[in-house]
Amino acid sequence: MIDFKDKRILVVGASSGIGEKVAVVLAEQGADVILLARRESRLIEVCNKIGENKASYYLCDVSEIESIESVVKIIVSEHGKLDGMAYVAGISDGDVPVKYLTYERQLTTFKTNYFAFVEFVRQVTKRGNYNDGFRIAAVSSVASLRGEKAHVAYSASKSAMDSAIRCIAKELGPKGICINSVAPSMVNTEMYQHFLEVQGEDSEANMKAVGRQYLGLAETIDVANAIAFLLSSDARFITGITLPVDGGFSTT
Amino acid sequence: MSEKEKLALLEETFDVDEGALNPEMLLNDIDEYDSMTKLSLIVMVEEEFGKKLTGAEIKGFKTVQDILNVMV
Repeated sequence: MIDFKDKRILVVGASSGIGEKVAVVLAEQGADVILLARRESRLIEVCNKIGENKASYYLCDVSEIESIESVVKIIVSEHGKLDGMAYVAGISDGDVPVKYLTYERQLTTFKTNYFAFVEFVRQVTKRGNYNDGFRIAAVSSVASLRGEKAHVAYSASKSAMDSAIRCIAKELGPKGICINSVAPSMVNTEMYQHFLEVQGEDSEANMKAVGRQYLGLAETIDVANAIAFLLSSDARFITGITLPVDGGFSTT
Repeated sequence: MSEKEKLALLEETFDVDEGALNPEMLLNDIDEYDSMTKLSLIVMVEEEFGKKLTGAEIKGFKTVQDILNVMV
């Protein structure tokens, strides 16, 4: 049974729909969670929901890559070594066709979805920042393995994340560090609501996406439970993988 | 921006030849006005005019003129 008692877990991107759920689920299973995000009001709400003695928060705009080292240092000095990290921060590049996909637009997506992820991994796995059995779980996407119109930067950034995970798993395995990702399909989040707003509920894109995941639309709890499993010692023999959490999407 | 310049921007967005569009044209009659062009339109209007078109606004467009009207 999953038990995070006395475990200290950093949740990066904790004010988003999935991030918040990850924090809540981990805390329910006994973890002390340290939340990171940009929006303080949302972080306070999540902390209140969890209870102040189980949750604390730090403000961080992950796209400012240079700030990550110092925020990790502060967290470890104030809380002690970490037992795990959930990387949930991610942005969609907002349905930009390739003819408008400038370098700057791609960079914006890649900073949050990829460069910041690797920088967090680099910082939390420095000697003295983590306990034995340290585990990392990140949110990738089914887009990592599939082509979709107007999703070039988003898909590529998730593929980059999953490739990096395979390499890092091998590199850090000897230190007992495990790293994996989950690949959800459509999840009922703000990002999905935005997608609906642009594409329309009866649009071909929505029908295609949700039609293929025959278990229906995922809720944030479905992704959070998978993240919690990958962060738990129950998953100790699993590393370097991307676990589909997609209601059947990738198998049809 | 003059109407001519706006039409030129739209022609680029629609990927049609210069001079191919005029304000009275019905969007339904333009083969190139597909879902990708609508996404391109959102990005172009955001970049050039600083406003984000919603799905509902786009659904409401019937003629080229309807699009020109939001390009301000």
